[in-house]
Amino acid sequence: MSNPDELLRIEGIRKTFPGVVALDGVDFDLRRGEVHVLLGENGAGKSTLIKMLSGAYTPDAGRILAGGEEVRIHGAQDSERLGIATIYQEFNLVPDLTVAENIFLGRQPRRLGMIDRKRMEAQAATLLERVGVDVSPRARVRELGIARLQMVEIAKALSLDARVLIMDEPTAVLTSEEVEKLFAIVRSLREDGVGIVFITHHLEEIAALGDRVTVIRDGRSVGQVPASTPEDELVRLMVGRSIEQQYPRQRPEKGAALLSVEGLGRDGVFHDVSFEVHAGEVVGIAGLVGAGRTEVVRAVFGADPYDHGVVRVSGAELKRHDVNAAMAAGIGLVPEDRKGQGLVLDASVAENLGLVTLRSATRAGLVDRKAQYSAAERIAGQLGVRMAGLGQHVRTLSGGNQQKVVIGKWLLADTKVLILDEPTRGIDVGAKVEIYQLINELTAAGAAVLMISSDLPEVLGMSDRVLVMAQGRIAGELPADEATQDAVMALAVSTPTAGPDSAAGSTPTTDKEAPRGH
Amino acid sequence: MATDTLKRPAGASGAPGGLRRLLLDNGALTALIVLVIALSALSGDFLTTDNLLNIGVQAAVTAILAFGVTFVIVSAGIDLSVGSVAALSATVLAWSATSHGVPVVLAVLMAVATGIVAGLVNGFLIAYGKLPPFIATLAMLSVGRGLALVISQGSPIAFPDSVSHLGDTLGGWLPVPVLVMVVMGLIAAFVLGRTYIGRSMYAIGGNEEAARLSGLRVQRQKLAIYALSGLFAAAAGIVLASRLSSAQPQAADGYELDAIAAVVIGGASLAGGTGKASGTLIGALILAVLRNGLNLLSVSAFWQQVVIGVVIALAVLLDTVRRKAGATPVAAGTGGPKGKQAATYALAAVVTVAIVGATSFLHGGSSSSTTPKLGLSLSTLNNPFFVQIRSGAQAEAKKLGVDLTVTDAQNDASQQANQLQNFTSSSLGAIIVNPVDSDAASNSVKAADKAKIPVIAVDRGVNHASVDTLVASDNVAGGELAAKTIAEKLGGKGKIVILQGQAGTSAARERAAGFAQGLKAYPGIQVLAQQPADFDRTKGLDVMSNLLQAHPDVQGVIAANDEMALGAIKALGSKAGRSVQVVGFDGTPDGLTAVKNGTLYASVAQQPSQLGKIAVDNALKAVKGDKVDPTVKVPVKVVTKDNVAGFTG
Repeated sequence: MSNPDELLRIEGIRKTFPGVVALDGVDFDLRRGEVHVLLGENGAGKSTLIKMLSGAYTPDAGRILAGGEEVRIHGAQDSERLGIATIYQEFNLVPDLTVAENIFLGRQPRRLGMIDRKRMEAQAATLLERVGVDVSPRARVRELGIARLQMVEIAKALSLDARVLIMDEPTAVLTSEEVEKLFAIVRSLREDGVGIVFITHHLEEIAALGDRVTVIRDGRSVGQVPASTPEDELVRLMVGRSIEQQYPRQRPEKGAALLSVEGLGRDGVFHDVSFEVHAGEVVGIAGLVGAGRTEVVRAVFGADPYDHGVVRVSGAELKRHDVNAAMAAGIGLVPEDRKGQGLVLDASVAENLGLVTLRSATRAGLVDRKAQYSAAERIAGQLGVRMAGLGQHVRTLSGGNQQKVVIGKWLLADTKVLILDEPTRGIDVGAKVEIYQLINELTAAGAAVLMISSDLPEVLGMSDRVLVMAQGRIAGELPADEATQDAVMALAVSTPTAGPDSAAGSTPTTDKEAPRGH
Repeated sequence: MATDTLKRPAGASGAPGGLRRLLLDNGALTALIVLVIALSALSGDFLTTDNLLNIGVQAAVTAILAFGVTFVIVSAGIDLSVGSVAALSATVLAWSATSHGVPVVLAVLMAVATGIVAGLVNGFLIAYGKLPPFIATLAMLSVGRGLALVISQGSPIAFPDSVSHLGDTLGGWLPVPVLVMVVMGLIAAFVLGRTYIGRSMYAIGGNEEAARLSGLRVQRQKLAIYALSGLFAAAAGIVLASRLSSAQPQAADGYELDAIAAVVIGGASLAGGTGKASGTLIGALILAVLRNGLNLLSVSAFWQQVVIGVVIALAVLLDTVRRKAGATPVAAGTGGPKGKQAATYALAAVVTVAIVGATSFLHGGSSSSTTPKLGLSLSTLNNPFFVQIRSGAQAEAKKLGVDLTVTDAQNDASQQANQLQNFTSSSLGAIIVNPVDSDAASNSVKAADKAKIPVIAVDRGVNHASVDTLVASDNVAGGELAAKTIAEKLGGKGKIVILQGQAGTSAARERAAGFAQGLKAYPGIQVLAQQPADFDRTKGLDVMSNLLQAHPDVQGVIAANDEMALGAIKALGSKAGRSVQVVGFDGTPDGLTAVKNGTLYASVAQQPSQLGKIAVDNALKAVKGDKVDPTVKVPVKVVTKDNVAGFTG
């Protein structure tokens, strides 16, 4: 078995935390010049496994072999010495330092005790060129978009002469164009002989990029299959059962318009956005990252101000930049950044579920905590939140269950128009389907759903209508039966300023209105 | 007896559970119990009902302030202004009721309103002005203190009698401050646990953006949160002033840090989202128990500060370790896993060993012989003058074979009240007090009188209470001497500035009065400016530099102590002793050296080591029942270059 191409081998790894067996008998191996995909639902143990390799955890039992020799990895230094570099979902970059400083953080080339900036920047430029990204080594990391941050992370890994590169869901936050670019880089690294451990929830990426797949379920490795394995089979391995339908959308009768947005604009950010969402309808908003989708829905919800236009709910105009007015009218927002904006991570499930209804549960300043608790109990049961109890901190829930809690707090408040911003990002297949079922139940009960998603199959599979945004404008609208990936992408990369609607009348109006707004 | 101390925190938290659960869930409680056990073992005076009630009283002000700060810290803010706001509220109460005859009820309402308004200003700056809480409340710290000094004109104001009952005891044994502390604690627990604003604090502190997007009116809540903190600060200020029967503009200086420490020791995170009223109470009790215990064990005043710092760090460490061990994916349910318990107990053991070791090492073998025990409470040890009083007293005590305990009140009247209370309850033979403030010490001295313990005042007198004797230099006469010295040196004609002592202290007032009195005889002397420099050398330097900008033609400086005079000399540079003459006060070793070198023209020398020596002699006389004179004046004299060689403090 001592294959000279073998970089890493993991045998029978076991890791327990008090009360939980995180990993139990996982086998895995990585060869030179391959992309080995780790597949599994959230909570299956993928993160724990890669933390063993990066030195964050040490195994309770089992062996790790590097280049045929047994090693112990006790910290980041050990893993660095073995040539293992890890790129986590949350980047480890210092926002206020330059790109070059971040790449060489802690290892800056020095001359006479001073940092040799010239040499550092020259070396950084070479590395950045190798990953094919056009960023100045002197740029501040804070100014970079998420895709470029990732490239900087890869450059940093290369600077360490990494022979093993671990990437934890690198595509979760990228648009499809950026994903293509990332794949090109990964492929060229593979040709250079680097072994890559690739974690993803997107099954189509496996065939496009991977060589082999190891599936982990409930802390065990349940199989190693070639990347060409059909998706159905992969899903079956991953969840232990087959999921009949990935997008189980049921379309109820369309009712009256609940949410209507007319000529909404914020100078320099988005312009002349108009659309309606009817009762019982799911409207998807597709587009590239940065097209202004999140900005529009936050303005609709009152979280941010807008300069022009109106928002109406059931015909009644909403006060601008007022979250409470939007909530009173029945709008709810499940934000893009679940942990940063959706949840109080160190509070319990019950407290998070009760956040929106806190005011209505208050009489004379006192909160009826008993009623809050029983309501939370009811909704958590209804949503099937998997938890140890309502007192569990949401930080320790899996991504899918966290998202259920965010949605649950709005369900408790009898929300009529629910805005979902990237509702299934970072969530495994099983939990995704449960969230889609929830959307079905909501619309069946007469609510309207507005859903932003960068996951094209999801937008196409779940929406009744798709709005495509590009450069801050609505580039076009497609009914479900006409929406294909190609049609959506064509609109998403278009330049909609010259579009028929905006060119006709609205653009001049906004120009005229602009001075009045200030 | 140990269960007695346990019941209080448990009762205040409103949720008494199994003892083991309670200990595991709260590292601070474990630390408190360890402390109580260690101190009971080390000092026979510690575990008595009287002393435990003392600790309650001593914890009260910090605890009430800390309850208010808990609200702010839970919501991920910080409030540095509570100490100043407490002093301001108390000053407003005393000023309106005592000086302007406002009905007491109205005056109390005004004081509370003052606290709330200060909090609202903080909240407004933070919520709408988008200032960082640290900066907004730092500004209020300065503004509040300044306003208190402006209103009171730097002097303590007597507190109305009806309100001063808040500092008394109920039924002769239950101190009212303890009662107020418990009531405020229950209110804080209720607000945090049951009310809309309380639950909002946790949500805002946990994740402000998530709270806002869930419809919480974050800005309005912040306004209310800081107002609540101001309200609690006002209550604390009233309790503090009623204990001292006097509103001190300089009171509660630095208490904001004690309050923050109490909150954090109690398990709150400065990052927000966690914290409990019961934890805060325990945190405040830990600080009070520690100060009390170290007093009883007569640990050196300097080492006390070191020990307090170490225990604060260890108590929080204990909680962090416990929490880390407990932060597992499983929810906290029935009893924790083994590692967590082990870590808790290991750290508790470390704390015990550290405390027992440190205290037994530091309190230098207090023999249980029959020699009389004396206590000396000094206003500060941050000034060579008082250090010399201590040296004189210690030397005399050693010579006579007397056991002398020295404490340092760090210029804080209420800390001095605590120390005197501790002296009284550990039944010393006699107490020597060097009051921080002559009015504020009266209640404590009355208590000692009641316990039939002789009290000797040194350097400063005690008002409204009988002391057996006052050993002092005459500050007013000294002030007159200083004025005369500079006037004669300038030939009866010239421009001078005066550096005053710390506003609100009797020494500063009396010396200033002496300067004014003495200068009356010299109409040719023009006083260009009078500014306080707080008896501090650095401040003397800064204030003098500023005054030189405005008055470059100054010819003479009178400083109310040598430290400020030396600071002024630094500012004057080569002018000192040549074109500008400086006169200081006290005759400290540094001052005398400057006189020798010619930079300081003269110092009105007291004889601090004589003060200390004579105080100890008189204390011993009083213990033996001998008659002592009501005042012993230790002479002051002007030391100039001519007579400095022969002078010894």
